[in-house]
Amino acid sequence: MQAFSAFLIPILDLQLLSLVAIGTFAGIYIGAIPGLSVTMAVSILISFTFKWDVYPALSLMIGIFMGGVYGGSRTAILLNIPGAPAAIATALDGYPMAKRGEAGEAIGITTVMSFFGGFVGIIVLAVAAPLVSDFALRFQPRDYMLLAVLGILLVGSLSGDSLIKGVFAGALGILIGTVGLDPLTIADRFTFQLPELRGGISFIAVMIGMFGISEALMQLHDVNKAAIKQKISRIVPSWGTVRKYLPLSLQSSGIGVIIGALPGTGGDIAALMAYDHAKRVTKNPEVPFGEGAREGLVAPETANNAAVGGAFIPMMTLGIPGDAVTAIMIGALFIHGLNPGPMLMIEKPDMFWFIVGALTMANCFMLLFGLTGIKTFVKIVEMPRSVLIPLIFLLSIVGAYAVNGSLTDVYWMLGFGVLGYFMKLYGYQLGPVILGVILSRLLDDNWRRAIISEQESLPMLLKGIVTSPLSLVLMVSVILIIAAKTPLWRRAFGTRG
Amino acid sequence: MKLNWLGAVVALGMMTGSALAQYPNKEIQGIIQWGAGGSTDVVMRAVTPHAEAVLGGKVVMQNVTGGVGAIGLNRVADAPADGYTLLMGAENPLLYKVMGLGQKDYSDFVPINLIARGIPIIVAKPDAPFNTFPEMLAHIKANPRSVKFGSTGPGGLPSVVTAMINNKAPMQIIAVPYDGDGPALTALMGGAIDVMPAVLGAAIENIKAGRMKAIAIFDTQANPALPNVKPVVETNPEFGAFLPWGPFFGVFAKKGTPDDVVAKLTAAYAAGVKHPDFVKLMDTRGFTIMNISGNEATSFLAKWQSNTAWLLQDAGVTKASPATFNIPRP
Repeated sequence: MQAFSAFLIPILDLQLLSLVAIGTFAGIYIGAIPGLSVTMAVSILISFTFKWDVYPALSLMIGIFMGGVYGGSRTAILLNIPGAPAAIATALDGYPMAKRGEAGEAIGITTVMSFFGGFVGIIVLAVAAPLVSDFALRFQPRDYMLLAVLGILLVGSLSGDSLIKGVFAGALGILIGTVGLDPLTIADRFTFQLPELRGGISFIAVMIGMFGISEALMQLHDVNKAAIKQKISRIVPSWGTVRKYLPLSLQSSGIGVIIGALPGTGGDIAALMAYDHAKRVTKNPEVPFGEGAREGLVAPETANNAAVGGAFIPMMTLGIPGDAVTAIMIGALFIHGLNPGPMLMIEKPDMFWFIVGALTMANCFMLLFGLTGIKTFVKIVEMPRSVLIPLIFLLSIVGAYAVNGSLTDVYWMLGFGVLGYFMKLYGYQLGPVILGVILSRLLDDNWRRAIISEQESLPMLLKGIVTSPLSLVLMVSVILIIAAKTPLWRRAFGTRG
Repeated sequence: MKLNWLGAVVALGMMTGSALAQYPNKEIQGIIQWGAGGSTDVVMRAVTPHAEAVLGGKVVMQNVTGGVGAIGLNRVADAPADGYTLLMGAENPLLYKVMGLGQKDYSDFVPINLIARGIPIIVAKPDAPFNTFPEMLAHIKANPRSVKFGSTGPGGLPSVVTAMINNKAPMQIIAVPYDGDGPALTALMGGAIDVMPAVLGAAIENIKAGRMKAIAIFDTQANPALPNVKPVVETNPEFGAFLPWGPFFGVFAKKGTPDDVVAKLTAAYAAGVKHPDFVKLMDTRGFTIMNISGNEATSFLAKWQSNTAWLLQDAGVTKASPATFNIPRP
């Protein structure tokens, strides 16, 4: 009980409360600017808050984390440039909504759903952290591999009209992801001995180019057309709307927490998987997916914010980072004289409850700051194209440079922007490319780990999959998803899946 | 009034003029070779603020990752040798040449401070059927090609420790590669691998919690952080020939940096490493403070490189012989 009272510290201490608020506010804008990432902000904060006590330092970092994950959706909706990888799925339906003049509503739904997802994540962290982390530890390389295969199957939902083009785009993404020094054997792969290629192609640069630049180039086609007038009458979704999406948002939150808690996968994969899930379970969306379906916003946004709470689960219970941001926070805890690990929960339970409290407050501030100022924000979309397009270019170039401070990344970004433009022109969807880049390493590394672990024998790997309940469930899901799309299945079960 | 302004401008000009002669008069860039949150990152971000206080300047740190740290190293090597771009690195560059990762290593840099070194430890999953180093070797011998060792790719700590063991007691194991010791230790806790040679600091909390068990400290003496774990030389003295060995962290400036700048940086980091807060941090993470610079540091680097490169050469994991680069055999 003594420890639990630490939950109230960030709520009752005015200084800590305002630090959480400042962090969340800053996080929203850091998250919204492509290239500026939460990871970067938090690692800069380590040096900055070095002399502080641990509570104020953590308050600021947690605020930035929570705000940043949400902030990525802003530019995704308004400009089709996801501010962070976790907001990629948000752009798929959020941007079409903005194009229809519903940017305000899209941001409103996103904000409320992010709050909801964040909340579910925090609750799971508070009540079931040891349980979830034990479950996450059970994931073997073969399970990560199967998870990646499940992810690759999302190409089916992201490829629009032509599956063939979708598969091509996905394969291109996987290829991009393999460039660079192979981390497992340090062999050169597709580097042509160029030092610039050894570090691989920056995924963020690909993302900014493919989404931002290609969109700006597309808009050049009708540069003189008047911008869409945005409706700003309805921003906060009604209670009825929230209730309607409650089952979906609960399921997406579940996906978010689990994927977030797995060390090695994070909010980006969680959001895409939730998007796919939404597409599967929503029988009759009001608007088709990809053209501005609200379900397509609800699912990824709840999932990526739920993943925040999820990422803290292995960090607090085992000292293992759930993602890149929690990895830095573990470093921060070390510097502040704490020993993150399995003993932390036992020796310093108040630290755990303090973090839960700070996350709760950050989530509330996110709702507050997210819902204010929307009217000003949607004006961005109403700007004349002759102003907006150069602005997108500027933002993309700055963003690509900021990731690693490297000009090479800017060239990659521009190159992929042009490639993306032509792909769009010829009816290729860009979602699968990004999906391929995200999943490339996860699939490749874990396939190799899995087969190496089994003495490089395929029958033994299969035996391993069949004898482990977790792997079996994943394997069956993969098979069912594929089988459900075959004519034979449809005839047998009469569904129009 | 106008005259006053003029005076102020002249005074300002004189101030900057005199400041120019003094190092540092602008922000120093610290390039960290490894990612945020890793050991190198934590060590550098923890020591640098203490050094800044002595230096009287600001060191802005940036993680430039990729290519096993070679991207960051090249970034500093390409910058002017003026002391405004520092490399915050680990031991890996000493193996770049033999591993075919680049033509540059620490011989192109001046060591400002070799801060600390890590102690390797061999850990196993809690239900592994062995508790000591000899038992582990016997188990591996009885079950060839079945015990899974975690690895972090050729040239990493696990590959070097595995090469040492193979050198004295050849063993048939499965080496499963991971992205770093963090993910590999996670896999160990989940039972995906059986044994992991890791740096003590990364494993210590999980050993205390019983999530993994310590088999042997790969050093010449027991460690105060884990007094009950035997050093390997106690049961297998033949490994003494390779030890002490371990990964280390250091701050480097490009070769050609003016001597007075190097002296200033050296003094600042030497004081920073001695700061009680930092010493305490290194103790809890199980790192041994070295705090050496100048010739002492240069000869440490040369010895480390010669020992490790030839060990890996003998184990057959190098891409080019150390002899090609005039690295003498120990």
